[in-house]
Amino acid sequence: MNPVASLQDALVRWGRSSLASVLAWWQVLHLGAEIIVLALMPSSYRHAAVRRDVLEHIYRATAPLMTWFLVLSALASLVLIRIVVATAMSYGLSQYALEVLVRTLVLELIPLYAALFVAVRFSMPAAQQVRRQLAEWRSADGVPGHQELLRGVLLPRALGSVFSVLLLAALSCLIALVLTYFNVYGFSPWGLPGYTRSVGAVFSPAVSLIFVLKTLFFSLAVAFVPMASSAQPDADGAYARRSDMSEFARLLSVILLLEVVSLMGNYY
Amino acid sequence: MSPTTPPLDTPPEPVRNLEFKAALLLMLLVLLVAGSALYVMYARGVFENTQRLVLVSDDSEGVVVGMDMTFAGFSIGRVSRIELAEDGNVRILVDVPVKDAKWLRSSSVFTMEKALVGGTKIRAYSGMLSDPPLEDGAEREVLRGDAAAEIPRLMSAVRDLLDNLTALTGEDAPLAQTLANVQDVTGRLKGPQGGLGVLMGNEADARQVMVTLERANALLARVDALAARVDSLVANADKQVFGQGAPEGQGALVPDLRAAVQQVTGLLGEARGTLRQVDALLVEAQGIAANTRTATTDLDVLRAQVETSLRKVDSLVNDINRRWPFARETEIELK
Repeated sequence: MNPVASLQDALVRWGRSSLASVLAWWQVLHLGAEIIVLALMPSSYRHAAVRRDVLEHIYRATAPLMTWFLVLSALASLVLIRIVVATAMSYGLSQYALEVLVRTLVLELIPLYAALFVAVRFSMPAAQQVRRQLAEWRSADGVPGHQELLRGVLLPRALGSVFSVLLLAALSCLIALVLTYFNVYGFSPWGLPGYTRSVGAVFSPAVSLIFVLKTLFFSLAVAFVPMASSAQPDADGAYARRSDMSEFARLLSVILLLEVVSLMGNYY
Repeated sequence: MSPTTPPLDTPPEPVRNLEFKAALLLMLLVLLVAGSALYVMYARGVFENTQRLVLVSDDSEGVVVGMDMTFAGFSIGRVSRIELAEDGNVRILVDVPVKDAKWLRSSSVFTMEKALVGGTKIRAYSGMLSDPPLEDGAEREVLRGDAAAEIPRLMSAVRDLLDNLTALTGEDAPLAQTLANVQDVTGRLKGPQGGLGVLMGNEADARQVMVTLERANALLARVDALAARVDSLVANADKQVFGQGAPEGQGALVPDLRAAVQQVTGLLGEARGTLRQVDALLVEAQGIAANTRTATTDLDVLRAQVETSLRKVDSLVNDINRRWPFARETEIELK
């Protein structure tokens, strides 16, 4: 085999795959931007059916997940709080336990696992459902137009995912803060001023902004990445079933990238 | 997209009161977000009335915006800004809530401590709470205490100490040689010559010292005998001089001397009486001399009278000679 020809083939394959990857990411970004534009336009909610669809997906994305997520989140938070408080006390550094807990739990961990939980439990199954439906439509009477697809199918699910991530993260943060207080101060109200002051010291304007932006982008990533991938036809125009794992890996890479950026913003 | 979008494959069961439940969730999210924002703003003291305190220091290392200033362990202020002044000093602007400003007085002292573990702490101390309260915008010097800054100096001192110790404990160090010598000396002390061998250095000298010692011992024995003889001599002297232990009737020197002295004292008393008599004689002699002096005076008067009488006689003879012309010589000799 001619080594030059094989190298050329390899380079061509690598170039094509890179181009496809860049195109796929571009389509994700483009679709996300389109959904955001549609979500911000009041005309998108003019029809009662669309409004009902959006509300339904908001409810279905949040309510069934809430109980178990909050229970698991509270348990995980409790374990972490106990570990951090006990370790800090054993080293005589209990005054730093609160800051460590608020920073690790509220700022970093809870948004991350809220996003992953919603992705696994709602966003990715919904994306698979959309892709299956698109395949059915393609074999039957044809795929609806782009805007119809965006507004009628993708927008409600994306909004449901965004809302679910935001609400679950907010509730979980609240529970984590309450559990932290009870773990550190016990059932006494007299630690509240000091606790409030410590929390306030952590949430400087920059940290608060990064936290809000990070959670928002997590929710957008969870909403758009699986959905955009599922709405994207294959090379032959069909909507073949794709592996959940590859979709999840793609979503995870986006979330980790956002996490790294937020960490750099917070600590560098 | 129109409401005519075909339904998905298996439509889920319709949700009862969907709009109400969804509205509840939306409201919950809005409440949570708004409540969190308000709580964080409250926690950061946005709603508090504050007064400004400016702490001036030459170094702001470890001071961050948002850190607390404590009084007696309670947080009473928060660093809101740190700026570098024109003179190179650091101005730490602290916002003190008005309700807590009563703890700060015009005589308050502010310190900035940097511990080995943990961040920098700004503390306020008010010794006299009866002093006038600290005015808004007051500027105060902050006293700095840095435990970590002591470490380099300490490390340098410890390093010097270790160098010295290393030099002291080295194989070729004087201390090691001294110890080796001490070991040699103690070995020789345990030997047959003992300390004398150590002092003399060789066996011959040590033996000579031993011989010297023996001769000294012999000399001391003779000195003892001599002392015994001196003792007996002293006893004899006592006997002879003071009469101690002497048989009755045998005279001693001191009693005899004492008797002689008594006799001399008697003689002196007698001599004193004789002298008194001589004094009386002298007094009488003085009276005689006085009388003699008086008689001598009288003799002068007598002599003058005699001279006067002689001149009268002379003049009388002259008269007679004139009246009586048988006088061959006119000159009269006074013999």
